[in-house]
Amino acid sequence: MRIADIVFRQGHLSEEALTTAILGGDRPAHLEQCEACSQRARDLSLWLGNVRAEALEAADEVFPPERLALQHAQIMRRLEQIDAPPRVIAFPAQAVHAPRTHSERRVSPAWVGVAAAAGLAIGLVGGQISARVTPTASVPAPAQTQQAEPAQVAPAGPVTATSQPVNASLTTDWERYVPEDLLLLDQATPSLLETQLASAR
Amino acid sequence: MAEQVPPVSAREADARVALDIRAFQAEGRLDEARDRYGEVVTRYQRRAARIAYHYLRDAADADEAVQDAFIKAYMHIGTFREDLPFEVWFTRILINGCLDRLKARRRRERWMAPPMLDPNGVERDPADYLPSRGPSPEEVVLSAERRQQLMGAVAELPERQRMVFMLSHFDGRSSREVSAMTGLNESTVRVHLFRAIRRLRGLLVTRAATDQGTGRSNRANR
Repeated sequence: MRIADIVFRQGHLSEEALTTAILGGDRPAHLEQCEACSQRARDLSLWLGNVRAEALEAADEVFPPERLALQHAQIMRRLEQIDAPPRVIAFPAQAVHAPRTHSERRVSPAWVGVAAAAGLAIGLVGGQISARVTPTASVPAPAQTQQAEPAQVAPAGPVTATSQPVNASLTTDWERYVPEDLLLLDQATPSLLETQLASAR
Repeated sequence: MAEQVPPVSAREADARVALDIRAFQAEGRLDEARDRYGEVVTRYQRRAARIAYHYLRDAADADEAVQDAFIKAYMHIGTFREDLPFEVWFTRILINGCLDRLKARRRRERWMAPPMLDPNGVERDPADYLPSRGPSPEEVVLSAERRQQLMGAVAELPERQRMVFMLSHFDGRSSREVSAMTGLNESTVRVHLFRAIRRLRGLLVTRAATDQGTGRSNRANR
């Protein structure tokens, strides 16, 4: 017997010793001799028995044999799924990697960007160049083209006062560039300017 | 004179079954491995369901925990050591699974509406409130109340005490077996068991006294 039991409990067993004895541990001799302690042990044992019976009953009520059978079947089915080799679903035949034709070959997105940047740069440079070149475009055209112009632009209708300077300059230019071989022919024909002035009067 | 064959203990039988399953799996005879494992499932299923139910206090959760534990044990049968009883190894897997589920449930409950509680503050399944097909309504009510009280009191025990109490008392395991299942020291198991019993008695006595008081006041009000 423990000293603590002798000192504090007048030799009776503590709860711990009683519980140990009931749960299959050391069974002190005192338990056989003391009626009070053996009564306590019986009570505790009965209580524990009731608790156990109630708890097992509650669990068995929730899990009747039918439910256990169902559970067993589910476990076996899950095991079967685990053991079965995994099935891979094949993609349709059309989607199988076929070699791409030249026309289908995909352009890398990086090249698209490079091409866009190059296009932009070319556009800017071209714009600058054209802006510088445009003022010089008003330079007079070569003389040969100007020689042909009088015959084409010669007004058929009456000559107005506003058209006179233009005609005068045309005549001057024409005279300046007329070959000498044609001067005789020119002298034989009436002057355009004189004819116009005469008709205007 | 016929040679006497020594009786094969459950532990040896389990070890043999585990070795068989392992061999079948290695040879690719999976159907046979499953059949053999089915015997193990049948043997330990009820016990596993009880433990899981007492731990989780929810039939659906317990059902899933038991299934998962059996599946896990089958998948890791290669790591089973014959020096430990299969039962102990399996129970450890089951308890770990139950603990994970409890943790997940606690996390979930933080974000969900509070559960239905009975006057004792114990969570109740809504199905409990429906009329059942019991033999006698009064018996059913009293029995259900007793069980609810008991389960509520067990649930109030600290986690280790509850685990030790359930394995020792409900499952009838020795301190050594509980020690192997839980990883606790054997003397620690005994201390937890004693404390659990003492606390449980205190809780049940208090509840009974509260119920009696409530009953008296109800009768007086009538």
